[in-house]
Amino acid sequence: MEYISMITGFLLVLLGLWGVLTQKNIIKIIIGFSIFDTGLHIVLVSIAYLRGGTAPVIDKAVKVTEAIEKVVDPVPHALVLTAIVIGLGVTALMLVYALKLYQNKKTLEVQSFNDLKW
Amino acid sequence: MISPIHIITLTLGTAFFIGLLKKLNLNISALLMLVAIAAAGTISASWFTAILSGAANAEVFTAGFNPPYSINLLMGKGEALITLLINLAGFLGGVYLLKSLKERGIYTMIIYLVFIMSLNVIVMTRDIFNLFVFMEVASIGIAGLVILDKSSKATQAGFKYLIATGVIAGILLIGIAFTYYFAGTLNIDVIQQASIINFKAGSIAVFLVIISIILELKPFPANGWGIDVYEGANPGIGAMISAASASAMLFVLYKLAVLVPESFLQIITAIGILTFVGSNLMGIKQSNANRLLGYSSIGQIGLLTAIVGLKPFLGAQFELIAVSILISHFFAKAGLFWLSGIVKKQNLKDWAMLRQKPYLLVLFGIFIFALIGFPPFPSFLGKWELIMKLAHSHHFYILAFILIGSFLEGIYLFRWLGFSIKMEDANLPPLTVHWNKIIPVVLSALGVLGSGIYFGTITEIAASLKYIPLLFIALLYVIDFLPVYVKNTVSIAGIGYYLYTIYPDLEGFKLIFGLIFLAGGMLTLVAGYFKTGTRKGFYPLVMLMFAGLVGLIEAHTTFEFFFAWELMTAGSYFLIIRGKKSMTHALSYMLFSLAGAYLILAGFGLAHIGQSSYALDILASVQSFAPLVFILLAIGFMTKTASVGLHIWLPGAHAEAETDVSPMVSAILLKAGVFGLILLMLNMGSQFIGSFNIYYALAWIGAITAVMGNMMAAFQEDAKRLLAYSSVGFLGYILFGLSFMSHLGWLAAVSLSVVHFMFKTLLFLAIGGIVYRVKTKEMYKMGGLIKKMPFTFISVLMGIIVIAGVPPLTGFGGKWILYNAVLEKGWFFPSALVFFAGIVAFLYCFRLIHTVFLGQLKDEHREVKEAPFWLLLPQYMILMVIMLFSALPNSLLKPIGAMLAPIFPEGALEWQGQLAKSGFGYWNGQVIMYIVGGIFVVVFAWLWYMNRNAQKVKQFNIGYSAERPSLPETTHFAYNFFAPYKKALGFLVSPLITNFWDSASEGVHAISDKVRRIYNGNVQTYAFHILAFIVVVYLIIF
Repeated sequence: MEYISMITGFLLVLLGLWGVLTQKNIIKIIIGFSIFDTGLHIVLVSIAYLRGGTAPVIDKAVKVTEAIEKVVDPVPHALVLTAIVIGLGVTALMLVYALKLYQNKKTLEVQSFNDLKW
Repeated sequence: MISPIHIITLTLGTAFFIGLLKKLNLNISALLMLVAIAAAGTISASWFTAILSGAANAEVFTAGFNPPYSINLLMGKGEALITLLINLAGFLGGVYLLKSLKERGIYTMIIYLVFIMSLNVIVMTRDIFNLFVFMEVASIGIAGLVILDKSSKATQAGFKYLIATGVIAGILLIGIAFTYYFAGTLNIDVIQQASIINFKAGSIAVFLVIISIILELKPFPANGWGIDVYEGANPGIGAMISAASASAMLFVLYKLAVLVPESFLQIITAIGILTFVGSNLMGIKQSNANRLLGYSSIGQIGLLTAIVGLKPFLGAQFELIAVSILISHFFAKAGLFWLSGIVKKQNLKDWAMLRQKPYLLVLFGIFIFALIGFPPFPSFLGKWELIMKLAHSHHFYILAFILIGSFLEGIYLFRWLGFSIKMEDANLPPLTVHWNKIIPVVLSALGVLGSGIYFGTITEIAASLKYIPLLFIALLYVIDFLPVYVKNTVSIAGIGYYLYTIYPDLEGFKLIFGLIFLAGGMLTLVAGYFKTGTRKGFYPLVMLMFAGLVGLIEAHTTFEFFFAWELMTAGSYFLIIRGKKSMTHALSYMLFSLAGAYLILAGFGLAHIGQSSYALDILASVQSFAPLVFILLAIGFMTKTASVGLHIWLPGAHAEAETDVSPMVSAILLKAGVFGLILLMLNMGSQFIGSFNIYYALAWIGAITAVMGNMMAAFQEDAKRLLAYSSVGFLGYILFGLSFMSHLGWLAAVSLSVVHFMFKTLLFLAIGGIVYRVKTKEMYKMGGLIKKMPFTFISVLMGIIVIAGVPPLTGFGGKWILYNAVLEKGWFFPSALVFFAGIVAFLYCFRLIHTVFLGQLKDEHREVKEAPFWLLLPQYMILMVIMLFSALPNSLLKPIGAMLAPIFPEGALEWQGQLAKSGFGYWNGQVIMYIVGGIFVVVFAWLWYMNRNAQKVKQFNIGYSAERPSLPETTHFAYNFFAPYKKALGFLVSPLITNFWDSASEGVHAISDKVRRIYNGNVQTYAFHILAFIVVVYLIIF
């Protein structure tokens, strides 16, 4: 059970990549990317997991001396917040691109955007 | 000293500030943006100079904690340099983009500032998660800047870029997460101490981090997204990605390389080399300028990636190599992208537009030469050191691939340069240049030139280089507006003075070849007085070639020799391409020269193994692979002597060159190869592969070259081509003579070199004068010119007597010695070929005199005048020397013999006055001169006496099969002159070798075209490439 969140995270990562690689509609590709990103975030959080651990707040429940064994690592939590914000930015920008692409060619089929090649 | 953190506060603060005051005047906002970036650059620069002069690195701690509990930044030497470059690119790029930034408003400027800021942080941060964050910020910045270009192409490119970097960032995040999991920290230095690579899971985590960084550097073949963005984006953005962004990512790779084991560094090297070769291969088929720049960028970054991987082997030279190549790439690529934005045309052929503003052409040339690594640009030093170190550490395959990749890059870059110099530009629109677009380009060019000279001064090996000739060339550029006769005089005086100063130090071969190069140079320059106007750009190039040639003479080290060799190649390339139809010929000359130069470089590299000095005489004590060193160098030099197989550049290049350039590139330039061969043979002596004597192969090559060159000459219709092929043949004799390694063989070869210089200058000037007057090079369109151009006739007559090697002129002496040498050596099979070649030479000699001067004058040539005085003057100066050497052969041969005596003490000629004795016979040039002179006087007197009875006739007063011809052509048989011989022997000169090189070229283009099809333009394919790349590299490593 310890690894369930990590496994879930990786499954989402793979699922997202599958979406990015196989979907033909650009919006779906972006959704795939979003799922990929979410999976990453879950993996990141799962790294900090400690069986029976508690919140990293030092008070009556957790003494300073035993903090190292009892509290979960707060760093990944901080990191994941940043990662989520970045993911949001990237996804938003992708959607802007999707909009622009649609305005250009009136379609969202990814095959229609192969003008640059070779 | 200002804390490096203010690079971030200034740029970010300004971004917020101009965002808050949205109503601010756009000009003021743009100004603030540039000021902020300039200030950031000043901070970097101040740290760079401080650290160079001994100050300690600066560390910046944040959030009130010490690392690893907080993010820290480091400002060391590398960080300072790279952030300086980034901010410089940011500033110049900002100036360049000023108009589009203002058009698109404040937000674009904010994005631009944040983008530059993020690159700075990427370089300075010591925290891998922070690195991830700012890499994402940079990606978003690039995608944000790309989309501002409204074109569909830009949008598509940006979308692919975003998806690709998104996937890569995801992989990086997994890597960072698990690195943290195993190492318990995000700080690079602490991770290094934690040595998590000692167990598999930990090393996989590090692998994911590193592979993501490599992917950001756009490795072949997982880089379609990167190439597309170079093509689709505004060139101003392309410049930023190529120069600033790539420099930052390279530094990250360098920074993180401390985390990985050596086996992984090898993979990095392999990926880099693969990218370098693959990218340049695909560039060959490219016709779109921005995309081509993309391929070239990615290739250069691949080379730099490989250099990071090779760090353990490069030792103390690592910094020099990496920085010099990076700086050349940085300035040249930024400059080229910016130029592309000025030209606005994507088809490479349309770059002929640059000619409308000649200074743009100069800038373009500077960037191309800097990319290829010519002196005096920094990459020249970098490439030299890299090759030497690779040879030292026995990385022969890598060495070979780097040279192949560079050569492939040379193919497309020089073709492109050729288009811009020579392509038809009649239908191209006018070029408009805005100040803000041109200033960054000019500064980049100055940057790459200045840094090259700076690197020259700080590098030990380059300290002995002489820059005086280069300064002289710069002076000639300054006075380029003056008329020809001034610049010609200055040039002749310059060469003369230089010869005067070095003359006391010259001796032996150096004296002979020094005189051919410099005195010969002055002589051929005399012909230049016949030109009028200013002849823009000509004199600096001529002097560049002569500076290279004299550098060869003066070189004491392999490095100086190679430096001079490259200068000479650059100068002669530009001289050749000045000809009217010279575009393709100049390209093939350059490609053969480039390949030759790389062989020489490789040869010097191998010769240097196990030696600490770079002196030229290390060739005498080569420790390993001596035969290979010999072969590499010999082939390298033979590209200049145009031996058979490597000769196809010569006929076109020499025939299409300008009147007074032909003798320079034919009579003088080819001798550089001969000088190289002499130097090589003197130092390395006999070389055997097993029991096979390599010199025997050289003798065969020389003999075949002689026959083939002479036969080709005999079958030409074009007079200058005839002379060009005759050079090929004659250089064959010289190679043949050298290969004997005997006194007589070398005496023949060296004296023939002098003789070839004289008669080839004579003939090219004489024929050049005719072509100048009759406006055609086709011999069958001439005829009967003897009365119109009698002085030229005498020149040509004397010239062909020398070539044909008949008494009484000097050619005979050379031939006589060569035959004696053959008898002594006994290599009869190749010698038979050489004898045969001598007979074939009569054919083209006769054709030259007959079809041009004899027979019937053509109608359109009735008003033709004698050649200009300034073309005749040098001819007659040479003729006097020829007569002197012919009448007094020991004035030439005795000093050469004395010079050869210490090297080949046996078999020297014995001199009694003008009588030379060999083991097989004797020859007295003076007596022969008297006899021939006597016969001439008798016959001439008799003819003169008989002339009283002659009756003057008009041109058509002849009986011709009972008809009266109406056109002079019909009575002067000159077209396909040797048709019967051609029928009989033509198969020998079927263009097998040209066909071979043509199909080789076609093959390379076909492969290039096949390989680039992997980039099908589909973002999903590109994403798949990225994932497959990771999997494949993973499988190789684990």
